[in-house]
Amino acid sequence: MSIGKEQILHVARLAELAVADADVPTLVEQMNRIVEFVAQLDEVPAGEEAPPFVAGPAELALRPDEPGPVPLSHPIKAFAPEFRDGLFLVPRLGSMEDA
Amino acid sequence: MSAIQHITSAMHEGRSTPQATATETARRLTEAAPLNAVLHWSPELLAAEARRVEAVSPAERFRLPLAGVPIGVKDNIVTTEQPTTCASRILEGYISPYDATAVKRLRAAGAMIAAKTNLDEFAMGSSTEHSAFGRVLLPLDHSRVPGGSSGGSAALVAAGVVPAALGSETGGSVRQPASFCGIVGVKPTYGRVSRFGLVAFGSSLDCISVFGQTVDDAGRVLAAISGHDPLDATTANLPPIVLERPRGHLRGLTFGLPTEYLPADLHPGVRAGVDRAVAAVKELGGTVKSVSLPHSKYAVPTYYIVAPAEAAANLARFDGVRYGPRKIGPAGDLRALYQATRGQGFGAEVRRRILVGTYVLSSGYYDAYYRKAQQVRALLADDFRRAFAEQGVDALLTPTTPTPSFKAGEKTADPVSMYLADIFVCSANLAGLPALSIPVGRSEGLPIGVQLMGPAWSEAALLSMAAALEATVSATSEVR
Amino acid sequence: MAWETVIGLEVHVQLRTRSKMFCACKTEFGAPPNTNVCPVCLGLPGALPVTNAEAIRRATQAALALNCTVHERSIFARKNYFYPDLPKGYQISQFDQPLATKGSVVFESPERGRIEAGVTRLHVEEDAGKSLHDRVPGKTAIDLNRAGTPLAEIVSEPDLRSPAEARAYLTVLKQLLVYADISDCDMEKGSLRVDANVSIRPLGSTTLGTKTELKNMNSFANVERALEIERNRQVALVEAGGKVIQQSMAFNAATGEVRAMRSKEESHDYRYFPDPDLPPLVLSRFWIESQHAALPELPDARRDRLMTILGLSGYDAGVISAERAIADYFEAVVAAGADGKSAANWITTEALRGYNETGSFAVSPHRLAGLIALVKSNVVSLQAAKRIYGELPGNSDSPKAVADRLGLVQVGDSEQLGRWADEVIAAAPGELARFRAGETKLMGFFVGQVMKKSGGKADPKAVQPVLAERLKG
Repeated sequence: MSIGKEQILHVARLAELAVADADVPTLVEQMNRIVEFVAQLDEVPAGEEAPPFVAGPAELALRPDEPGPVPLSHPIKAFAPEFRDGLFLVPRLGSMEDA
Repeated sequence: MSAIQHITSAMHEGRSTPQATATETARRLTEAAPLNAVLHWSPELLAAEARRVEAVSPAERFRLPLAGVPIGVKDNIVTTEQPTTCASRILEGYISPYDATAVKRLRAAGAMIAAKTNLDEFAMGSSTEHSAFGRVLLPLDHSRVPGGSSGGSAALVAAGVVPAALGSETGGSVRQPASFCGIVGVKPTYGRVSRFGLVAFGSSLDCISVFGQTVDDAGRVLAAISGHDPLDATTANLPPIVLERPRGHLRGLTFGLPTEYLPADLHPGVRAGVDRAVAAVKELGGTVKSVSLPHSKYAVPTYYIVAPAEAAANLARFDGVRYGPRKIGPAGDLRALYQATRGQGFGAEVRRRILVGTYVLSSGYYDAYYRKAQQVRALLADDFRRAFAEQGVDALLTPTTPTPSFKAGEKTADPVSMYLADIFVCSANLAGLPALSIPVGRSEGLPIGVQLMGPAWSEAALLSMAAALEATVSATSEVR
Repeated sequence: MAWETVIGLEVHVQLRTRSKMFCACKTEFGAPPNTNVCPVCLGLPGALPVTNAEAIRRATQAALALNCTVHERSIFARKNYFYPDLPKGYQISQFDQPLATKGSVVFESPERGRIEAGVTRLHVEEDAGKSLHDRVPGKTAIDLNRAGTPLAEIVSEPDLRSPAEARAYLTVLKQLLVYADISDCDMEKGSLRVDANVSIRPLGSTTLGTKTELKNMNSFANVERALEIERNRQVALVEAGGKVIQQSMAFNAATGEVRAMRSKEESHDYRYFPDPDLPPLVLSRFWIESQHAALPELPDARRDRLMTILGLSGYDAGVISAERAIADYFEAVVAAGADGKSAANWITTEALRGYNETGSFAVSPHRLAGLIALVKSNVVSLQAAKRIYGELPGNSDSPKAVADRLGLVQVGDSEQLGRWADEVIAAAPGELARFRAGETKLMGFFVGQVMKKSGGKADPKAVQPVLAERLKG
């Protein structure tokens, strides 16, 4: 299975990453090498029913329903790029409207 | 005597003070500046850390295991007093409004946060060449790499600036640079140390891990940051690590040598390092036997599916909406903000991994890649379970890396060859097991490390075995 | 051609908790923007989710109230997409292993009578924040107070056959969830939201047509309205030779229009995978059973019980069991000594009028039972009792004390009644003569006159024998 320019651009859109046209050929080549490399796993027999690995505890530990969040040591406006009247601001949605 | 014991005993005996240690650390940090190991530090912050320790009564200080000890912290672990950038433009200038649990625990143990250290951007790399703020130099040979991604912490400890430092591992990012730099690197069992405040890369693999000048230095710091954290649902409900007394022998212990880790074409210096360690084990009364971990060859490809997939989701939050520098493309709308902020903010290796990760999770590919990788991961973990439970192995002994440190620029053009630098270390991350690297000598002047891997929660036993080996082998002499 | 409408509903309800799904921020409504936020729900670097036990408990109870199978093992998954009010770039939800599956809701369809609609699944997830598009010109403003609020998503089977039926289903679903105290289901506060999938097919066909997804409906009435409009649009489209395209449609309540939403094809590739920050959610069979046992009696069962044990009519039992607070009040009045039928009469009229206005009952169950007893023992008339009822709020006097104070206690002793009867007869010789000549229906006139003379205090039942005695002549 090989990855073409269209697929790179599709994945880049999903990941909201601008990819410069000049970078596309190198990316196509490198992505194909990586995907070919990881495709080695095809040779490992593991059926549908083979259990996937779960890292960490076998069961989720739950938290009691008590308010008391980790406090912020400095206010949001100290790290937000655009914050006014208590609200984060972003440009109009444009092509993402209704998404 | 370990570097930490040296500092704490001098303080308790009145021969030194935290302020004096801070001043000395500042001098060494200045001297080590050419290594580019540090992203943020200041004499003022160091002095403030010392004042905090000095505010504790001497009697109380006596109970603090790291009182007055300067520690380096990898810059993907959040701190409220210094910036946390993950060596990325996308977080340039970002100061976290909360401290990581590990940082809080270091301070609670009396440690002084000395510096935030350089890394491969978002911990993605094996050479610390992929930092947006320049590569880190190997202290022994500036033309070479210190390994990565925790190369800044490794170089700082190797240069003797601090006795110990925090790094993070996703696929060997502490053990591999420890091996390249000739120091000790310890990765705990997954769930032993809280990830709260560690900027996530591959969440099911990530472990805050520790560098030390000696096994004792690394062990003390690891013990101080270990233990259950209610803020991280993947920490085990276990008490902190209790270190064992040093042991003078390895009698009654069996070390497994996995054949898959000793290929015929292994670098001769690395091979000689393993031989030296095996001889030391026998000399100390331990037994060595050959074992097999049949799925080892799939570790790196498995890793390069799981880690990028999780990374692609973990790095989605860097979108220029709530924090970090914002860029807006010509269209001026929200998508232009996302694409420009992320396209310009992430470096080439990070972008590549996000694309790979997005691809393997995208519609129609999930089963073939991510699900399959998690199944193979279960098989890999089972290899280890069998070696420990069925073959009576107490620890596995392997080379840490296939070669000593390589030249800067040697592997940057070919991502896959760079990935293979982690071939012996990433299995422990995939299986969630504790592992460490200790130096066992040098080959043509470059450090060689060997790795010990143990069953889950065996950190204390691994550390005591490593201490026995450390006391026997000469870490700085040529292996042949 | 005759068309059949096929509707399935996706309902999001906010689970009643004090803190958020994955962090300890408060869930209160109406706080100043971005004040109930922390590193976790802001999606700050390094923050991790920790699951709220109460959210899991309420969701489990919701699933049990909907007759679902609750699974002993379920998995939280990341649903990946970019939107400015989604802080992490993914929503923590459940995907291929949800908390519960295969349930049902039994309800009264306006067209088909009592039917059962299947519930495909119920899963737990976190809410996104709020995007405000009209605050700052040319900008979108983001408030993350709501980000991380615990939700249950309840997906129905495509079992509903008309817009009115969809509304009836929603009404019963809401009733159940409010009853079991799972959510306040207040659409105005956003604690209940509905998306509807609708398609049409020729009557008699068993295959499903292409569906559209309706969003942005802010009341059950609007859900019904939007579904009607969209159903009609589809029918007109198909009859004109067109084809329905699978897409999301937004309903505009102001214009009554349904229009297609712009969305990119890749926005539907959510790249779900198990969230590595959250181990599998494991619930023991024992615990699940204990939650089943802890569920309150649900409306249907309660209505049946009121009918069989207390002999209420189906109508009264239905009105009383519709809301838990009403039924609880009713049962308290009965427990304080009132008979079921009288209590039902009082509650479905006087008491409910006040409750519907204020949301609470102004008269304690004990006092209402006392008032009912006064009527029962003929101490006051029903008419007088209604006046007394109106005087009960705002003081703590017993109903009898109020009756005494207002002079509303009935007179039943025959001596006083006899005196009034004599006066009335003496004043109406014409009527007396006609009565004695056989015009017996004039008894009503004489009773009325006695009542009037007594100022309403005479016990009408006692008046008649006293009059009859004297009118005989």
